[in-house]
Amino acid sequence: MVDKCPDGTDIGIVASEQSEYITAERPVSMTPFNPISRRNALSQFGSGFGGLALGTLLNETTSTAHAMSSAAPHFEAPAKAVIQLYMHGGPSHVDLLDPKPVLNRFDGTIPPDEVADDEKRTKNLMGSPFRFRQYGQSGLEFSEIQPYVAKHADDIAVVRSMFTEHRNHEQAIWMAQTGMIMPGRPTLGAWTAFGLGTENRNLPAFVALPDPDGNSVDGIRNWSNGWLPPHYQGTAFREQGTPVANLHPNQPRSRAIEDARMRLLRRLNDQHLASRPGEEELDARIETFELAGRMQLAATDALDLSQETAYTQRLYGLDHETTKSYGTRCLMARRLVERGVRFVSLFMFQQPWDTHSNNNERTKQCCQRTDQPVGALLTDLRQRGLLDSTLVFWGGEFGRTPTAEQQKPGAVFGRDHHPYGFSVWLAGGGIKGGQHYGATDDFGHRAVENRTQTANLHATILHQLGLDHETLTWHHNGRDERLTDVYDARLIEKLIT
Amino acid sequence: MRTAGVLTLALLLPGVVADDEKRPLTFEQDVLPIFRAKCIRCHAGVEPKAGLNLTSPSSLLTGGMSGAALRIRAAESSLLYEKISSDEMPPIGQKLTPRQKGIIRRWINDGAQGVHNAVSIDQSDAVTGVEHWSFHPPIRAAVPTVSEKDRVRNPVDAFALRQLQRRQLTLAPGADRLTLLRRASFDLIGLPPSPDEVKQFISDQRPDAYERLIDRLLSSAHYGERWARHWLDVAGFAETAGILNEDLGLPLAWKYRDYVIRAFNSDKPYDRFLQEQIAGDELTDYWTAFESMDTLHDDVVEGITATGFLRTAADPSRPDFSEIKNAASQYFYPTLFDTLQIVCSSTMGLTIQCARCHSHKFDPIPQVDYYRMQAVFMSAYRPDDWIPQMERRLLIASKKEKQAAEQRNAEVDKNVSELQSDLEELKKTFASRLFEDRLAELPTEVRDEIRAALAIATEIRTDTQRKLVAKYEERLRPQDSELDSALVEYDGYKYQLDRLNTQLAVEKRRRWKFDEVRALYDIPGESKTPVLLRGDALTPGPLVKPGVISSLETPEAFEWTAPDAGAKTSGRRLAFARWLTQPDHPLTARVMVNRIWMHHFGTGLVATPDDFGVSGSPPSHPELLDWLATEFVRSGWSIKNLHRLILTSATWQQSSRVSAQHRQAGEQADPDNRLYWRQTMKRLDAETLRDSALTVSGILNRELYGASQEIPRQQYGKLIVPVGENPNRRSVYVKNQRLYPDSMLQVFDQPTMSVNCVQRNTSTVSTQALTLLNGEILTRAATAFADRVLAEFPEDPTGGAYLIAYSRRPGSDEYSFLTQFLNELTMQYRSEQDQTKSHTADFPDTARQQAFSDLCHMLMSSSEFLYVD
Repeated sequence: MVDKCPDGTDIGIVASEQSEYITAERPVSMTPFNPISRRNALSQFGSGFGGLALGTLLNETTSTAHAMSSAAPHFEAPAKAVIQLYMHGGPSHVDLLDPKPVLNRFDGTIPPDEVADDEKRTKNLMGSPFRFRQYGQSGLEFSEIQPYVAKHADDIAVVRSMFTEHRNHEQAIWMAQTGMIMPGRPTLGAWTAFGLGTENRNLPAFVALPDPDGNSVDGIRNWSNGWLPPHYQGTAFREQGTPVANLHPNQPRSRAIEDARMRLLRRLNDQHLASRPGEEELDARIETFELAGRMQLAATDALDLSQETAYTQRLYGLDHETTKSYGTRCLMARRLVERGVRFVSLFMFQQPWDTHSNNNERTKQCCQRTDQPVGALLTDLRQRGLLDSTLVFWGGEFGRTPTAEQQKPGAVFGRDHHPYGFSVWLAGGGIKGGQHYGATDDFGHRAVENRTQTANLHATILHQLGLDHETLTWHHNGRDERLTDVYDARLIEKLIT
Repeated sequence: MRTAGVLTLALLLPGVVADDEKRPLTFEQDVLPIFRAKCIRCHAGVEPKAGLNLTSPSSLLTGGMSGAALRIRAAESSLLYEKISSDEMPPIGQKLTPRQKGIIRRWINDGAQGVHNAVSIDQSDAVTGVEHWSFHPPIRAAVPTVSEKDRVRNPVDAFALRQLQRRQLTLAPGADRLTLLRRASFDLIGLPPSPDEVKQFISDQRPDAYERLIDRLLSSAHYGERWARHWLDVAGFAETAGILNEDLGLPLAWKYRDYVIRAFNSDKPYDRFLQEQIAGDELTDYWTAFESMDTLHDDVVEGITATGFLRTAADPSRPDFSEIKNAASQYFYPTLFDTLQIVCSSTMGLTIQCARCHSHKFDPIPQVDYYRMQAVFMSAYRPDDWIPQMERRLLIASKKEKQAAEQRNAEVDKNVSELQSDLEELKKTFASRLFEDRLAELPTEVRDEIRAALAIATEIRTDTQRKLVAKYEERLRPQDSELDSALVEYDGYKYQLDRLNTQLAVEKRRRWKFDEVRALYDIPGESKTPVLLRGDALTPGPLVKPGVISSLETPEAFEWTAPDAGAKTSGRRLAFARWLTQPDHPLTARVMVNRIWMHHFGTGLVATPDDFGVSGSPPSHPELLDWLATEFVRSGWSIKNLHRLILTSATWQQSSRVSAQHRQAGEQADPDNRLYWRQTMKRLDAETLRDSALTVSGILNRELYGASQEIPRQQYGKLIVPVGENPNRRSVYVKNQRLYPDSMLQVFDQPTMSVNCVQRNTSTVSTQALTLLNGEILTRAATAFADRVLAEFPEDPTGGAYLIAYSRRPGSDEYSFLTQFLNELTMQYRSEQDQTKSHTADFPDTARQQAFSDLCHMLMSSSEFLYVD
């Protein structure tokens, strides 16, 4: 595979050879009222990684081909898909993944200047009440409140040296999801969909699984396409009711009625097109209705969890009230990835990990809701041989202070937001498990060893999918934009080699 | 596995002191000694290592080869702290002790006392001799003479034809009248023509029938709604502050939207339109009016309302943000950055934001120019002295009115409280009469005991007393509504009560309240604008004065002199607005003309409306662009004149549907149709699509202006924001929320604002198909549409539906498959109904209506409805 964009002539040839197929959903930025011509679209792609994405474009838009053809990535790579377990609120790294005996030893004392809270929102050092143990052959450490995930220690790589640039949720979420502290940019999922296209033409490349109780902090921006074409926006699938908004009418229609309506529409549109030869946009429009029909079947089928055995359902905790909700989304994620969806993001209502008060109890509760389902997801992916090609990515927007926050006198201690050092973990998709990478200081305050900026993590994830963060670009606002933007992003080699 | 031990445990100090007892650290006393001990072997002297000299407080922000050594109040992201905390520095010899690291960290976090602004900035491009076309004023070329003179209706055609003919192309034949009617209606007012309008136009035989049509559309109030929406996109208009999750509503934002609609409807000259939006307060002399006039004149109110343009940037600030560390750099500066980006991209088509961090890579815009322009807005937006967004507003009132109101309202408050105590007194008087009367109804012997029991405090009542109270209190001292209904039985009570209540109501109505506007206005006192190194507010550089892009060739220079001390407003924005709207400004007229052209043809003469710079697309017709720009200015910056010019050209009127031969020739020579050898078929944009569906189904609420229509929202499956009373207003009045947009509008590419939108996407995706087929709006509209055609066209409802939706009658072939569809569906519905109930007067046969509703639904989902030829 080449990783440079081919010259314009090549693009032209490919385009003209296959032009009759460019009919369906077009992942192409279009100017108002006037679809940018195919040539423009291609040169737009050409500015980034041209011919390779072109493959996606053409394959994806082939109205006749039912063979699921994935786009060629920039280079051979292990991962075909990502499941992102986004942990809104900022999980407490010192209670979960980054053991700090020193912190426990100095519990309750005033921190020295080098780790004191610079905003003075928290005060004394607070040790973790949870015991850490080593798991697996590797001896990777996890705290006792995540026994199911810990079983996969040898598949998991914990990055303990993450840091971010903002102490407030939304800004830190934009950094974690879109690579910069700035609203309105495309998310990692959107970039992935843009780079790889879809493997299953009847399902979106990027699916978001929001909590049925309601949106997480930052709402629909968590799966935004930003200024990438709308085609790459995450499609929210729901676990209750119809899987996608407007997939079915509010008042059900019988098959006969539905079919007659679609026949009429097709007839109207065909007739309209017949007197406007050469208007590709109209072909594409007709194809969207066909695809909508196919998506109705494919999405409904993908999310029909009754097809799963009782054993699998129990594995994910669907038989328990506490684990049912997150377990359902984990199981949906596996079924979607199995069907060729490229990027699935799982979310929880609001921000459960935001433990300003009662940190210990609430962190434990979050684990009770998610640990078994996440463990099950890893087990299930492994059993089905999907783990090698599916990168599972767990983490939030920041960690939590090693110092205690007390919201009002008498309140049980919590921990505040903490951007200077925190942990995330990766598994599968070619990630070398059983290791931790980088370190915070003795208090879990600041990442000091192998400091890892978000851009490094993003570049590494894209790399595992066969995408080069420097060539995956989109021209916008007068410049070639990329996920890692101005950052000097480096691959985390230790995780992938 | 091993945990990295970076802090040395032995040095963990038990004798720590609490923060509040700690004295402030200074550079001289606390920090310099550490640098002397550990760093100056390299980082001092004439040629310090990496260019970084640590011995002088003035050199720390200037920094070295890797940039600023520190960020004020942000140790964790300061290069200096990064290097020492990781022990990367010093590279040899003893590392800093934890205590020394702690001192430097605290010193930086407490404000890096002693540090001076950086002195050197990115001057990499002292710009001279700029060649780029758009940086020089437009030159009006002579209208060319071309062959095919019969196709030239106005100069636009001459310019277009000349370029077509050079490539052996020509204009397509003119479109038919019906097509022109629909195209003009959608282009100008964003609504389909009604059957009556179709009939009237088609039968209008006057030679100027078409010009009359254009005039009628331009004078429609719906014109302003349509074209305001285009401007609101580039202005970045939104009705929530919402870059943060709470998506705080901006209850006054719609007044700016209404201002824009009014401006388009009244064809406000574009130069005035910009001046008002940038400096309406200074232009209309708001402060003088405020101080000296009895009441604010309309033009002043209009002026301050227009500055809402400068308030569209996301601004999540709240009063409590002042407590956040570095709030200016984290929250306030971004609003200022966005504002400048909006101003420059909307009015000048420049991607100025690149120059925030470094001199522009492509365009001749040095970094310092960015901050000179930022200084224009700095007198109003002051990151170091920020006014929370909800408090940044002006009353529509003069000082006299405000004072009079305060006086009157104080009087009203006094009267109200007197009346309220009168009311209480009245009630008390009659309540005690009631008590006595009811007590008198009881046996004489218990009266005194009850009276005593009730009089005594609850805790010390005897058991007997308690029983008495329990038994009689309710009767003797009724509460609330029971008391009220008992009292009205008394003579005189009702009369006095009503009288007092009336007085109270009258009094309360006397209270003076003033409308407010979300405006931008200067804060008194001098403002300072530092260049920010790498665009970072925590590494400030030298101060700059207000100015503009120095490389733009403008006949009139930017002129501003500082006002007298104590002036209410600095005049900076007005100076900028005047500079921007000078007739020969290289960009202002061109950018607007291009934008209007783009909305009529699908592509601009410059295909990148947001980028007239070096990396933007060059104009397809440079002379036409300049001719239009100068014509625009000559006509007094009249936008309606520009529409007339374009819409009466043969270039605009040509057909989008062309012969195979014409198409082949065109596609070969000019595949992107940049030369306009045919008109472009356009998809309705989000708002026009929704508005059209509501129009054809007869349920559009055509009310103009006013507060926005809410978007319903759910949480935990419950509706937390309900649908308003009338959900059918035009889309420009549907609340523009950043985080929770209307889903149908969003699916059809209405931008969700993060900054602004200079050019929309037009996507074709399957979620649109689902929205059309199953979405709430079209489903509802379909039912109404069916009812409408069955009522209005009882003889020929199918033909009526076509006429309303497509402005034409069906052909015979169409009649036949539509009839077949209707019959089939009617039977199907009937058979489905039959399974449940038989038809009676209570259950009429609705099958035919349902079938019609499906027909109407499909018409509104079809390409002929979605696209304009």
